[in-house]
Amino acid sequence: MSKRDKRPSHHRPVQPLTSPEESRVRVESLIASGNTRGALDLAKQFFKEARSTEAEALVIAAYEARIGEMLAQGLYDEATALAALVGERFPAHRHRIVPLVRQSKAIAAGDLRPLLAELAAAARPRRQEIEAILTRELRDPRLLADADALAADEPLRRAARAVCDLFAAVTSGPLPEGALAALDQVSRHSPLAPWKLLIRALDAYYRRADGVALANLDAIPPHAAPARLVPVLRHLIGEPGALDQRSPAVGALIKAVSGGRTLLRQHLLRLGRALEARDPGTAVAAVERIMPLFDFEPVPVKRIFTATVLQHWYRLNLNLTPLVEALRRDRRDLDWQRETQRLIALTLERAGAWEEALLFWDGYLTAATRAGTLPAAGRAPARVLLHMAELFPAEREAVLDRFCVASEEDLEALIRAGELPEYLDRGRLLARARRVDPDPRVFQALVAHWATRDPRLAEAEAEAWRQARPRDLEPLLHLVRATERRGAHRRALDLLDRAEAINRVHPEVRQSRFRLLLASAERRIREGRFALALADLDRLEKEPVATSGDTSAYLGAVRSVAARRSGDGAAAVRLHEELASRLGNGTMLALILSSVAESFGLEPPDAPGPASPAETVQALARSGDLFRALDRPLAVPPALLARVEHDLSGASPADLHSLCVGGLYMGRPALTYAASGEGLASDGPLLHRFLLARGRALAAAASRRERDRAVLCLRAARELAGRARDMDAVRDASSAIDALARPHETAPWPLRVPVADTEPLATEEIARLITAERARRQVPTFTAEKARRKRQRAPRRPQRDLFDDFFAFLKKNR
Amino acid sequence: MLGIEETADDEAVRAAYLAAVRRSPPDRDPEGFRRVREAYEAVRDEERRLALRLFGPAPLDRLEALLEAMPDERRHVGPGPWLDVLRGDR
Repeated sequence: MSKRDKRPSHHRPVQPLTSPEESRVRVESLIASGNTRGALDLAKQFFKEARSTEAEALVIAAYEARIGEMLAQGLYDEATALAALVGERFPAHRHRIVPLVRQSKAIAAGDLRPLLAELAAAARPRRQEIEAILTRELRDPRLLADADALAADEPLRRAARAVCDLFAAVTSGPLPEGALAALDQVSRHSPLAPWKLLIRALDAYYRRADGVALANLDAIPPHAAPARLVPVLRHLIGEPGALDQRSPAVGALIKAVSGGRTLLRQHLLRLGRALEARDPGTAVAAVERIMPLFDFEPVPVKRIFTATVLQHWYRLNLNLTPLVEALRRDRRDLDWQRETQRLIALTLERAGAWEEALLFWDGYLTAATRAGTLPAAGRAPARVLLHMAELFPAEREAVLDRFCVASEEDLEALIRAGELPEYLDRGRLLARARRVDPDPRVFQALVAHWATRDPRLAEAEAEAWRQARPRDLEPLLHLVRATERRGAHRRALDLLDRAEAINRVHPEVRQSRFRLLLASAERRIREGRFALALADLDRLEKEPVATSGDTSAYLGAVRSVAARRSGDGAAAVRLHEELASRLGNGTMLALILSSVAESFGLEPPDAPGPASPAETVQALARSGDLFRALDRPLAVPPALLARVEHDLSGASPADLHSLCVGGLYMGRPALTYAASGEGLASDGPLLHRFLLARGRALAAAASRRERDRAVLCLRAARELAGRARDMDAVRDASSAIDALARPHETAPWPLRVPVADTEPLATEEIARLITAERARRQVPTFTAEKARRKRQRAPRRPQRDLFDDFFAFLKKNR
Repeated sequence: MLGIEETADDEAVRAAYLAAVRRSPPDRDPEGFRRVREAYEAVRDEERRLALRLFGPAPLDRLEALLEAMPDERRHVGPGPWLDVLRGDR
């Protein structure tokens, strides 16, 4: 007896027998009610007592029913064993038992034909038994739809055809509207009912109506054949732990349907958990499993994954070698090997490890151009070279410190001697970029690079730019400025003529012309050629620039100097009086006259009398604007500056903004700080400009805390400027933020301060920041000028140790 | 998102963008349209495509964001693989 038979029976206990007829009726009644075990017990008791042919027939009928029920319950082994026993004990009835055994074996093997043949003529309860078997064993509705044993119009066969067609349709594409109505002919007692639920679940799954899909899956009886797909579908929907075991067929189905994404999802979650637990072994194992799955995904997805995992790995300060080995698992895929190199370079540069990033960029560029992935010349390699040049720290001393050299010449000598790689020479990188693509961006970078190092080379590059692209205005403007600076005014004017031939009304062209004429006038005054100087000044007054702002006042001040130098004191006094009446501000007049006189080495005129705070503020604001526009030095008495910084009450927003900009121009961040504070005190259209000025002033502060404040102010300014469509302010804020980026002192990797956080500040955060800045009255300590650092041997950086391992690995694998 | 090849030109990118907008019109699927627009902005001209190819992609803040960016695919594979599972454990 099987274990199942030992379970407590829920059928009614067998009653004592009274007569053969009654026994027959009761046995048949029990069989009809489905209590085959009770019927068999009763029949066996009757047979034991009667030993008649009638009793034997009754016990055989009971055995048949019992075996049929066992088959209906899927107890094929038990049914086969019982049938064998009955056949041995009642050989005369073996012909009745053998088909049952055969049927049992056929069903166990998935062959439903004998059962279906029997179904055609079966009456209840046998029909119910057969339907129960079909519910459990029908693993393909086509077996029923194509069953010749059933008449073509047999309702069950007709329903099976509908199920068959819908199952094929729902798994092959979206079902048309109303297609599921064909399932209405399947009753909930039909052996096809679980299939109906499965088709509905599949339709909902493909429509992404996961709730409906799950509801239909829940309704599928666990013993029904389609129930085998329930955990698979749950798994595909994303239910964690739905699938305990995975057969090859299940694995193939999941991969085919989800394109491997379900598996990818699992491994990604595992990787995330491993990284959270700082468990590199498990994380690498997850990466090893994930990488082959990306063969089914678009390449950009693989790149995003690689960039992301590298970034996380780097932040956690884990050894890169095993990760890179896992990422570059397929050694034959050389394209991907190069891509990995590029992605590592990007990771390193994001973390501020510029030198290491340069190494990887150089490796990538060499390999990619050699393989033809990148052309040897043209925009792409030039962009990479430009990008490499941009990775160098803005502070040249940081580069020199890194290689323990005193000057860029020393660094170049080491590169020439082969002690350092060529890519560490920024100028050479840019020159390479120019060779492969003589593009304005490359020339612009080259001119900017040399402008602060070797102005002659900057001029030469600007000249090369002009030769390569004669219609570009920018190189001409640079050349005008450069030649003007070294006193070659005739050459400067010649270049200016060319610039004007391209664009006469360009503001910088006009400004250049004005500046050149002004310089000419000033030079002639110094040389004592007053008539020529006055002629220059006459021409200057006719220039459009002369009519803007207080420019004419400056020209008047120059005229007064000419008068003084030529000994015409009366004319000088007359000019002073004219200027005083034009400006209406004695303090401003004094500032202009004294600054211009000082630039000619003359004694300044007498100091003006006491002025109101408002007049002083306005004088400084307007003078600052004027001298900044003309690129001339403004000499401000320290007492006047201090007075303005301490009393800005009543200043207009425009004046406050001028003072903010003027303070930065004069190298006086305290003035900018004070003016921006006053500007921030009230809302207005210049609020973002005051935040920008506050951020730029704080950037010059000595303490880290103030510099962190600067970052916040600049981010808020950038956000507000973007909303106000003030793109100049957006650019200024962004470049100030970039300039503030510096190596993090505590991180194991030289991560930058959180300025890389590109998330815009929320309105509430900005409002909180403005409130906080309004409340800050104390002026921070500013570093007047960064003291030149004494060159010291740079300490060995901690991440280098981590890289040693990695570089050794790379050398082995490159 | 736009389903374009890396070598696609401006015209192909524009066509893919318009097709994606038809699938996610701004009035009916604003979130989908936002993603489509973002993707288009990143690749709309050759300069941007070159920048993305050379200096992209940006890493995601969280690994899980990769999952969010990759909604599970639900491919129609016909009845065969499903029936194989049903028949498989005999």
